[in-house]
This record gives sequence, C-alpha cells and structure tokens, in this order.
Amino acid sequence: MVMLRGFLVLVVFFLLGEAVRVFAGLPVSGGVLGMVMATVTLMVRGRVSTELATASQGLISILVLLITPGVVGVFFIADQFYGHWATVLVALVIGTLLSVFTTLLLMKKVAALGKEGGSHDRSA
Amino acid sequence: MTDQPEIVRSLMSVWTASPLLSVALTLGAFIVAQWLFVRFRRPLWMPPVMIAALLLATVVALTGLGFERYEQGARWLTVLLGPATVALGVPLYQQMHHIRALWRPILVTLPLAATLAAAYALGIAWLMGATPEVLASLAPKSVTAPIAMGITEELGGSVSLTLGGLLITGVLASLFVDWCTRWLKITDDRIVGFALGLNGHAIGTARAFEISHTAGAFASLGMGLTGVFTALFLPLAFLLF
Repeated sequence: MVMLRGFLVLVVFFLLGEAVRVFAGLPVSGGVLGMVMATVTLMVRGRVSTELATASQGLISILVLLITPGVVGVFFIADQFYGHWATVLVALVIGTLLSVFTTLLLMKKVAALGKEGGSHDRSA
Repeated sequence: MTDQPEIVRSLMSVWTASPLLSVALTLGAFIVAQWLFVRFRRPLWMPPVMIAALLLATVVALTGLGFERYEQGARWLTVLLGPATVALGVPLYQQMHHIRALWRPILVTLPLAATLAAAYALGIAWLMGATPEVLASLAPKSVTAPIAMGITEELGGSVSLTLGGLLITGVLASLFVDWCTRWLKITDDRIVGFALGLNGHAIGTARAFEISHTAGAFASLGMGLTGVFTALFLPLAFLLF
C-alpha cells in the first residue's frame, strides 16, 4: 500500500507534466516537467513523505531494467544508420574528451576564484 | 527460422499475443546481467545495461521473435520511464543543501558545461555531415537515460541511437575524468564527482560512488541539474536552428 500511494503520486505528477506540455506547447517531455513540479512541491513542503521516498527509490533502482529494451534496439538499427557510425563515434569520443576537460578546468578556476573571494569560513 | 514446426509456431503466436514474454525476457536478462557484472568484478567498460542488452539482442535475433514484436511487449516496462523520471526529483530535492551551499560555482559552471557537453559532439557531427536525425539523437548524449529519451522524442531523433550514444559517453566520461583529473592535478572529490555526473550521467555517477560518498553525492547533483537544464533548453535551442 505504502509503495502504491507513492507510485500514484509519481504517476499523477507525470500526467500533470503531460498536461502542462500540451497546454503550454512546450517541447519538453512530460516526465521532466513532472520532475520539476515534484521538486518544487517538495521544496515548498520542506520534506519528503515515506511513501514518495519508497516509491521513487524503487523506480530508480530498476531504471536500468526500464531502459534495456531501448538499448536492445541499438543492435537492430545498424542498417538504418549505415555510413553514420564513424561520425557518431568520432563525435562522441572527441566531444566527450573536450567537454570533460572543459568542465574540470572551469570548475578548478571557479573553485580557485571562490577561495580568493575571501570565504574564510570554509576551509575545504 | 522459417522451417519451425507447426507446434512451435503456434506456441510462439500464443506467447507473443501478450506482452508477458517480452517482460519475462527483459527481467531475466536484467537479473543475469547483474550477476555477471559482479562476477566479472564490475568492469568500467561493460556496464550491466550493456550485458543485458547483448543477451536480449541475441535471444531476440536467434529465436526469430524479432525486435518489433519484442519491443511492443516491452512497452509494458518502458511506459514506467515517465513516472521514473518524476522520481528523480526526490534525490534532486535531497541534494538541495549542496546546491544552497555552492550555488555560486554551480550557477557559473553548470549552464556553460552542460551546453558544451552537447555542443562539442553536435559541432563535430555537424562538420562531418551528420543528418538532422543523427544530430537529434546525439544531442542529449550527456543526459540521464529517461530524460534523454524524452528529449530525443521531442527532437525527432532515434531513441535507440541515443541510448547507444549514452552508453559510449558514460563509459568514456568515466575514463576521461580519471585521466584529466590526474593531468590537471584536481583532488577535490566534489569537483571530480560533479564532472562525472555532468558528463557521464548514471554511468559516471556509479563510478563517482566508487571514489567516495561525497563524489557520489555531487555526481547525482551534476547529473540531475544537467538533465533538467538540457531538457528545458535543448529543445528550445533546436527550435531556433
């Protein structure tokens, strides 16, 4: 019962997200809009109910199971994207290397600036 | 596969009439993959989802079930991705104290870094002459799977190509963060974790939890914020081009 009540909350937020997507004409998925609304609701309430925490933990723990059918599709689209695989691989390898490097460099610089800014109350 | 005996064919048509065969196969592959992953000492380059997908693809191809029939049945599972995406809001809320404490560096780095995570790969693919469908499929490459699938559908890409790209990106990000932190001499677990979650979504976050709990918490934060930011801005950016 506890799990089901939390699950109902998640499904209702998903449906609300879909409603916002349709009415506002936003090109964002209903799940994301539902997630944003759920986060804001939790921030306003200031706490998470046990039901909701249990249900979301349950769903998050089987996320891998839920995306597996889509990943299986990768092995059946080889023909459809014939001739694009080299592009995809080069873009992913070089793109990821560049973005990891930039992120780390950016955060190192900002972290250093934060220290110079005189926040003496935080040591780490 | 065409010379199956009559009885096997009628059994197949009974089994595939309901989605339960697909559900059973997916659950079975998931459990076997988790077991194999632990047996092989959790290899960084072979996450459980890859093992499960390889097993399923083999079964689906060899039994003559066919991907389309399998996928139709598996919708009973994939429909849960919607509420599962909503569920990600709970850990995001639970990380809120980190966001409050470090809102300034997060505000400066996140929008730029999350945009670049998509833009570098898109720029390279575009220069190499990728089709709009391939570009739309690669755009959410650093976003956690349930959110990325929604983005790809909105942009008109191929969900399967996106998921393939996500797997490769997650594995690469874990390796590259490892190299780059050593090269840039970064030892702050908060930075390492944030970079892992931001670039490598769930696979990077899993890697961060192996480093330390702090790295893991910041990876979840980076993954969640990148997901929300990209999901809100990428479709709008695509409308402009």
